[in-house]
Amino acid sequence: LYFCRCASHMLSKEPPLLQSFLSLVSRRVSHLAQQQYDVIVVGGGHAGTEAAAAAARVGAETLLVTQKINTVGALSCNPSLGGVGKGHLVKEVDALDGLCGRAGDWAGIHFSILNRSKGPAVWGPRAQLDRQRYREFIQSELLSTPGLTVLEGSVEELLVTEPNPEEPGRHRVTGIRLANGSHPISASSVVLTTGTFLSGSLFMGQTTSPGGRIGDAPSSAGLSHTLRERLGLRIGRLRTGTPPRIVKDSVDLSLADLHPPDSHPTPFSFLNTRTRCKPEEQLPCYLTRTNAGVERVVRESLHLNHHIQEDIKGPRYCPSIESRVLRFPGRRHQVWLEPEGVTSDLLYPQGLSMTMPPDIQLRLIREIPAMHRAEIHTPGYGVQYDFVCPTQLSPALQVKSTQGLFLAGQINGTTGYEEAAAQGLWAGVNAARWARAMPPVALSRTESYIGVLIDDLVSRGVTEPYRMFTSRAEFRTYLRPDNADLRLTLKGFEEVGCVSSLRYQEAVRVRDSLQDALAALQALAQSSSKWRKKLPDIRMSENKSVYNLHCDKQKKEMERIQKEENMSLPQDIDYFSLPVSLSQEVREILDRVRPSTLGSAARLQGITPAAVVNLLGYVVHTGQRERIRHRNQPDQKEEKEEEHSARNASLPQ
Amino acid sequence: MLPSVCRGVWRAAVHTLRTSRGAPPCRLLSTCDGVPAGLADADTIFALSSGHGRCGVAVVRVSGPSSATALRRMAGLRCSLPPPRAALLRSITDPQGKEVLDRGLVIWFPAPHSFTGEDSVEFHIHGGTAVITAVLQALGSVPGMRPADAGEFTRRAFQAGKLGLTEVEGLGDLIHAETEAQRRQALRQMSGELGHLYQDWSHKLKRCLAHVEAFIDFSEDELIEDGVLNQVDRSVCNLQAEMERHLKDERKGERLRSGVQVVIAGATNAGKSSLLNKLCQRPAAIVSPIAGTTRDVVETALDIGGFPVLLSDTAGLRDSPDLVEREGVRRALERVEQADLTLVVVDCAHVPADAQQAAAFLQGHLRSVLPTVKQRETAFPADRCLLVLNKTDLLPEDERRTLDEELRQVSGLPPVCLISCHTNEGLQDFLTLLHVRVKTLCGDPLSGAPTLTQARHRAHLQQCVAALAQYKHYRNIDLALAAEGVRLALTSLGRITGRVGAEEILDIIFKDFCIGK
Repeated sequence: LYFCRCASHMLSKEPPLLQSFLSLVSRRVSHLAQQQYDVIVVGGGHAGTEAAAAAARVGAETLLVTQKINTVGALSCNPSLGGVGKGHLVKEVDALDGLCGRAGDWAGIHFSILNRSKGPAVWGPRAQLDRQRYREFIQSELLSTPGLTVLEGSVEELLVTEPNPEEPGRHRVTGIRLANGSHPISASSVVLTTGTFLSGSLFMGQTTSPGGRIGDAPSSAGLSHTLRERLGLRIGRLRTGTPPRIVKDSVDLSLADLHPPDSHPTPFSFLNTRTRCKPEEQLPCYLTRTNAGVERVVRESLHLNHHIQEDIKGPRYCPSIESRVLRFPGRRHQVWLEPEGVTSDLLYPQGLSMTMPPDIQLRLIREIPAMHRAEIHTPGYGVQYDFVCPTQLSPALQVKSTQGLFLAGQINGTTGYEEAAAQGLWAGVNAARWARAMPPVALSRTESYIGVLIDDLVSRGVTEPYRMFTSRAEFRTYLRPDNADLRLTLKGFEEVGCVSSLRYQEAVRVRDSLQDALAALQALAQSSSKWRKKLPDIRMSENKSVYNLHCDKQKKEMERIQKEENMSLPQDIDYFSLPVSLSQEVREILDRVRPSTLGSAARLQGITPAAVVNLLGYVVHTGQRERIRHRNQPDQKEEKEEEHSARNASLPQ
Repeated sequence: MLPSVCRGVWRAAVHTLRTSRGAPPCRLLSTCDGVPAGLADADTIFALSSGHGRCGVAVVRVSGPSSATALRRMAGLRCSLPPPRAALLRSITDPQGKEVLDRGLVIWFPAPHSFTGEDSVEFHIHGGTAVITAVLQALGSVPGMRPADAGEFTRRAFQAGKLGLTEVEGLGDLIHAETEAQRRQALRQMSGELGHLYQDWSHKLKRCLAHVEAFIDFSEDELIEDGVLNQVDRSVCNLQAEMERHLKDERKGERLRSGVQVVIAGATNAGKSSLLNKLCQRPAAIVSPIAGTTRDVVETALDIGGFPVLLSDTAGLRDSPDLVEREGVRRALERVEQADLTLVVVDCAHVPADAQQAAAFLQGHLRSVLPTVKQRETAFPADRCLLVLNKTDLLPEDERRTLDEELRQVSGLPPVCLISCHTNEGLQDFLTLLHVRVKTLCGDPLSGAPTLTQARHRAHLQQCVAALAQYKHYRNIDLALAAEGVRLALTSLGRITGRVGAEEILDIIFKDFCIGK
């Protein structure tokens, strides 16, 4: 069979048409007023859809609220998924039964594995997507997820309780209120995935208008107000941008270099053996370059470019053509011309994100030979938007000061579909667990890129839009795209509850057969000289033992880190009055960041080894006092275990 | 229906072993020659555990899984280990050169009956600097051994459950003290030629790593030419060769300043140079009534009560328009930062008569002289500072006595000595106090002992070289593993020059390349 999980309905019949989809949703909507949900997800982008689907998989009654149903699952910017580092995230989201991997396999029209020559740990699976197909897949997948309702509407207000006097500074989420509806919708958890819509403004030339994406209404100011004023969250501002879309027929592609896809498409999902797109149906990409003319247009139009003059942090990667030219003058920058879909007559010029007035955009584009007669379908524009400083979140992506409120995606200061999807999935999982009174779960940076992403966000914060690179992962040789299922699927089923039993069984089967194969290979142990005689063409150093040495070594380091991660620091510590020898500087850092474990405390800048040991002393001590207090309660066994683990806790370097 | 084994190209091409949780580590399929030493488990630590200075016997401790190997190789034991916890007289030899370094006692403490709960060995050797250096270097050359980090023995003991809670509370202070001592030492080293060399290497390595990482993360989409890697290859080769030459070089390059570092500091014309001359009993520094006479650091090696001391006189601290004097003040503050003990000299005529005011004045003065105190801690490090009130001969007898008595009662000040370099009054008491301080400092194996730093640098450089070999080894096989080698090399070097974070690497990437995607 072609597709595994979705095969039955995806291939036997066409994905449901948008019309029927809409009518189905509105039928569900009619019962809304009386309903109460476990989890409400606000926003239908990559973070929101993964969050809603994950929450439903964990078993929560979930509502997804989006401004426009037909933009659910839309690719707002580039028509591609994956890459180096990002592809790792897609594989991990898929291993946890998320949507984007399978959606990529369904919608991909140009598959390639980047970095093939550089070692499997850094291979980057990537695909160009058909925007239409991607949206269709996500929408039909959400529709067929039990326990998930999708509602069109604009959220006016986030409902939170007054802080509990017993626990100062702690709010609790109770639900949302829609712009048009008078009835509040109540829920135990709310996941906010507002993307660029939180106080977003669009820039083109010298004009500015409120909004998060061109063609869509701006979100209400109420949400931003609640976060800022009622919850007192620290908010920052970031910017991003998107290139103009070019009419395909107006481009002279013979003047650009042809870049064909891999001859055999490799699917993202561990469940798929093939992609929907047949190898021969794939579309190519084209490569061209900027020149001195482009640079001249940028310089001449700077005074008309409001976005570039503003002093808001944009990314150093994925910069606009303006900042590329200004920072690296005299170079010929690459411009990729990517297909937007099978039936689309547009091209996406990757690398030409720009915010100048539309007439100058046209002038700039026509400086490039292949586009000397090009027509612009939609001009490029810049976006500035609010984000919540992510150090205010726990590793479960819950706002520390507000129980039940989770944030994911660009609202946390990240950029990219894959980063958003990874956070969305994890926030959705934890929102559902919170609603169902289950303890939060965290992923360590030793076991996944998702863990690296979340740990970087919550313990270090961001100063520019955060994007995943493989160089951010300390244990890169272990966190490979090929073993994401073995790293995460088993845990996702056994401990987290977000993986279907079908996928779990498949992962178990793979694990077992790999182990069998290994055992068989090990039985073949021979000296290297004999091997060389038998296999003269294989270089000995290339065999598996090499990776094994690394893995063993990294494993030790990982165990050390994991022990530290297991020592949790209470969230309500008053670091300023803590009767422990800590300098004022250290106290301030700890108070600001409020690390959740000793391990993340140790990684903070400015935290001395001595401070960590003193903290450890405090944690062990408090643990002991707690136990004395509960002495009369039974559970002696647990007590012993606790003490044992405290003693075994490793101290950081 | 589930898909069959056909996982496509993706799976089939993965030539690595997959280590799943809980699975036992797999045996090697073949004995792979040429695996760099940097890959070996580096988990056995060693350190000089006794103080330095005038001592007959020095104790070097080793703890960790390779302890037995170290013992066998260094004590010339073929296979059998000595009986546990019994002293054995052996010749201690260099495992590589096979030359005899010393004759001393070795004691074998198999786990778990040792201080750290791990396999441990103690070498009791003669206390001379040359012997200690040689033994530490020899230990560093045994595979899998590295110098201990601050407080690491105690930490391991804690992990093994060998320490009680009360002892753990002391551990923080110990680590703080040791880290501070190492920080001061590193500062001393880093301000010299050697420091510049290491910094330069670190800088080059950072660029190498940044370029490899850029090639891995971005080369498929961006304009990052293959030439970048060829440059890295050359840099790595050069660095490796340079480091190897440096490790082999028997000339030490520069004389490491040995001994407890005592620095005289204070305002101009307080009598700092007079105090130096008094202490070394010769006119080592020019003394004049003109403020700002001393402009550079004047160093003298001294023997105080049998302990080596390096005494430095520094320029008086004041804002001066004179460029030379400003540089002198900068150097003075740098020295204070590196000092084990600072003698803050104050002209007692400047001290207010009222006791409360006097205390406030002196505290303010200390803050201006010891700049780090302001940032790092709330209280003065009483063990690292002495307050010397000079020129008591200029005060009337009764005023001097009240000042002395009142200052004794004020808390929050380091010990105060009233002296007169002119009449030698109070000098004897001051010398006694100084002697006690120096003796305590010498009991601490970390302060002022260049041998330890040398051994530490050596070990880290060796690891660095081995890691660079790993880069070359994997360069054409698996770039991710090769990059791992450069990462490892940078971590090893970072133990000398300071840690390098992922952000710093990304900074270089975005400075050197235009990443458009």
